[in-house]
Amino acid sequence: MLNEFLFTQILTELEDAVGVENCSVKEIDKLTHSVDYFWLSRMWADRGRQMPEADFVVSPKNAQEVSKVLKIANYYKLPVTTWGGGGGTQGGAIPVCGGIVLDTKRMNQIYEINTDGMYIECGAGAIYKHIEIAANEKGYATMHYPSSLTCSTVGGFLAHRGIGVVSTKYGKIDDMVLQMEIVLPNGDIIYTSPAPKHAAGPDLNQIFIGSEGTLGIITKAQIRIYEQPEVRRFRGFLFKDMSSAFKASKEILQKFKPSCMRLYDNAETASLIKKIVGVEKPGAFMNIAIEGVKELVDVEEKILLETFAKYGAEDLGSEYGEKWWQEKITFFYPGHMMDLPQCFGTMDTIAPFDKIEKIYWAMKNAIETKYPQARFIAHFSHWYEWGCMVYDRFIVDNPPEDPVEAMKLHNAIWNTGVRTAIANGGVVNDHHGVGIKLGRLMKEQYGPAMQVFEGLKDKLDPNHIMNPFKLGL
Amino acid sequence: MKKLEISEKARQQANSCRFCWMCRHVCPIGNATGQERNTARARALGVSVVDRGAEDLSVIVDNIYECTLCGACTNNCVTGWDPKIFIQEVKAEIALKGLLPEYVKTLVSNMQTTGNAYGLELDPAIGNILPVKKSDTLLVLGQDALYKSVDSVKGAVELMNKMHIDYTVDEDACNTGSALYFLLGKVGETVEAAKKAAEIFNEYKTVVIYDPVDLDLIKHEYKEWGIEVKTKVVAFHDFIKENLTALSLTKGEKAYSVQDNYAYARNLDDSETVRELVKTVGTNKEIFLNRKLANMAGSLLMDAYMHDVQVDVAKIRWQDAKNMDCHTLVTENPAEYEMLKLTQPEGYNVITLEMMLLENCK
Ligand SMILES: Cc1cc2nc3c(=O)[nH]c(=O)nc-3n(C[C@H](O)[C@H](O)[C@H](O)COP(=O)(O)OP(=O)(O)OC[C@H]3O[C@@H](n4cnc5c(N)ncnc54)[C@H](O)[C@@H]3O)c2cc1C
Ligand code: SF4
Ligand code: SF4
Repeated sequence: MLNEFLFTQILTELEDAVGVENCSVKEIDKLTHSVDYFWLSRMWADRGRQMPEADFVVSPKNAQEVSKVLKIANYYKLPVTTWGGGGGTQGGAIPVCGGIVLDTKRMNQIYEINTDGMYIECGAGAIYKHIEIAANEKGYATMHYPSSLTCSTVGGFLAHRGIGVVSTKYGKIDDMVLQMEIVLPNGDIIYTSPAPKHAAGPDLNQIFIGSEGTLGIITKAQIRIYEQPEVRRFRGFLFKDMSSAFKASKEILQKFKPSCMRLYDNAETASLIKKIVGVEKPGAFMNIAIEGVKELVDVEEKILLETFAKYGAEDLGSEYGEKWWQEKITFFYPGHMMDLPQCFGTMDTIAPFDKIEKIYWAMKNAIETKYPQARFIAHFSHWYEWGCMVYDRFIVDNPPEDPVEAMKLHNAIWNTGVRTAIANGGVVNDHHGVGIKLGRLMKEQYGPAMQVFEGLKDKLDPNHIMNPFKLGL
Repeated sequence: MKKLEISEKARQQANSCRFCWMCRHVCPIGNATGQERNTARARALGVSVVDRGAEDLSVIVDNIYECTLCGACTNNCVTGWDPKIFIQEVKAEIALKGLLPEYVKTLVSNMQTTGNAYGLELDPAIGNILPVKKSDTLLVLGQDALYKSVDSVKGAVELMNKMHIDYTVDEDACNTGSALYFLLGKVGETVEAAKKAAEIFNEYKTVVIYDPVDLDLIKHEYKEWGIEVKTKVVAFHDFIKENLTALSLTKGEKAYSVQDNYAYARNLDDSETVRELVKTVGTNKEIFLNRKLANMAGSLLMDAYMHDVQVDVAKIRWQDAKNMDCHTLVTENPAEYEMLKLTQPEGYNVITLEMMLLENCK
């Protein structure tokens, strides 16, 4: 708790760094930066409790202003939590220790749309949808289509290693970035290598991508753009079970890459897919999109139909797939799916094909056995030649009314789920990141390898001001 | 115990809407300020937290007045929530609890003393061109045009004259209640102003509404407030369409891009009439976010208390125009016209619908 004198002193310094109008101590700004998309923060506020708030909310315009803020924070040893869109699900953007919230959204400049180098250079606070619009206006696309396209920022996706629905063909966010500008905790402004694929030592990009604001603040990025596909075709399939779907998908991925692949378990097919897409039959629904140059797509479609038929998939035609594409964001609107007062969470993990199905069953059994009040549903999206991710969710319809008890239940279910994933060859998380939600499990995942992250943290941020208690650092 | 005296509908929407940011990218204010509080979700969170007694109403007052009511969020929301509902109800509560901010009080007191929120006299340049003699047709220019947009009034008057229409402009009828509704929500004064305007309307056979924001209020809220308008109410562009033959127009190659006003495009579901008119004189070149998706280009009422932000709102719209090489924007809303004019980049131009027609009259 800062005394009034010191508080005012720091305020004047921050105002000097970013401009009076871009430094706020108003309650409305502190409040709106205290609840992000993390279930616990939402539940806490919903039950009339106050989430931890920052003392100062600053909105710098560029790396130079960020640098000034970080120098001030380091001098006074104030925590700095970076906030992009607040769309993260892991509580990463919540200023749990107070101090400064650094909101990146004024760094939303689109500096350049470079159609020779096929990238957009933009501020890290740009809403992803805005850079998509800018690309579309020139006839291109970013091909990063997460469900939070309209609410999260370029920097936020980089910081959490996010992913969009057409990732199988175009990649994850870490495949989509060329050079980045980053402000280190001491205020130094650095640039990663001008191109990502090089042999000039480890890839600096990959050190900061996924670092969740604990090692520095991304202020600018060159994001890849792609030509719009000549055609994008959908095909829905119904498999009898998931095992045959996995086999069929692995085979397809050795031949070509669809843009979107999404397989729903029988429970999610019978609930969400039935409700939103309209598939009535039992089984495991899979939606595939193939896209690109028409002649190639024709060939790929033929291979797809032949391969899936071998594994007994029923071809549902294009209608369900198209409906799914149109409605893909609807799944996330409040009231359409899970919402408070329900308690829920997405325990996405990733593994090679030899383990992924086992992980799914192990997690399902562990959660449903230990927490009979919880339902477990899942789908598998984001596929690679070697494996895929499982997006598995638990839902408790009537969690305890008392927020402390609700938090205990929530965290216990998470411990069970993630530990089961790790024990069976999975990873703490696939694309939502770690935040405060899963920090405690990072050491269980990495063991002594965690010292690599800790070493980086100690060297780059010796005062540990950057996003404390996140990422297990 | 709920702290806010808002309807259950408003409460439910605030409670649900606060968990989503799906409309963040369309909010003209959020896009201009980059502030987290300028999202529908943040406003809903604020309302919800106040309703639960965790914060005072005073905490959210300014943020409520940072909303233009443009409805881009409403249009974008697939759940059908309409943040405007709780925003407007909370405004009424702010007014009733005596928590109005000074900048709103000034505008409201201007209404009381001068009859318009800006506290302005009619510009002499238009004072003597307005036909005040009683006729069958009333042209309701609205307060934004009358007191803040000389160009809009001049254009409308010239076009009416070119169409040989015998019509009347009544200063009092221009206070439709839309300014008070924006400032105070639905309170007694707002409904009173609307009733007075309706009484004047009912003295005419035809009432032509120039500003879509006024038309929206008359078509939607008047009905809900039980205010009866017996006479025929028409949108200005429909009236022009009806009388188009009176203008000898020539069709050229010039490209015009419609800056859809939110009230026409989203609330009145009328984006095509203006385009039909564009096509009678030139070619229609769409700006990227158009019709229901249009980015709002500014509000004059808000300009009175947050000028810099309104300038940025308009500049962002110009950026859309530049990206698509849309050199001439056509607006139907005096507020957007004025804000776009103020921020017009070199080589680009904003004109009103009337100006477009007038420049193509033989
Ligand atoms: C409805 C909905 C659907 C979603 N669907 C998807 C999906 O399909 N795919 C997906 O990947 N995610 C999805 N998410 C999660 C979320 O969008 C991502 O986690 C995203 O990466 C968060 O970005 P943000 O800008 O909202 O970041 P925030 O939540 O503000 O921050 C996230 C973390 O990144 C840090 N951070 C933010 N900006 C920077 C920066 N410039 N430099 C350094 N650190 C920074 C913060 O400190 C925090 O630790 C969804 C979320 C919602 C609300
Ligand atoms: S209006 Fe709809 S899209 Fe916007 S925040 Fe509310 S629920 Fe989400
Ligand atoms: S009505 Fe317009 S200004 Fe208000 S929150 Fe919605 S989008 Fe933003």
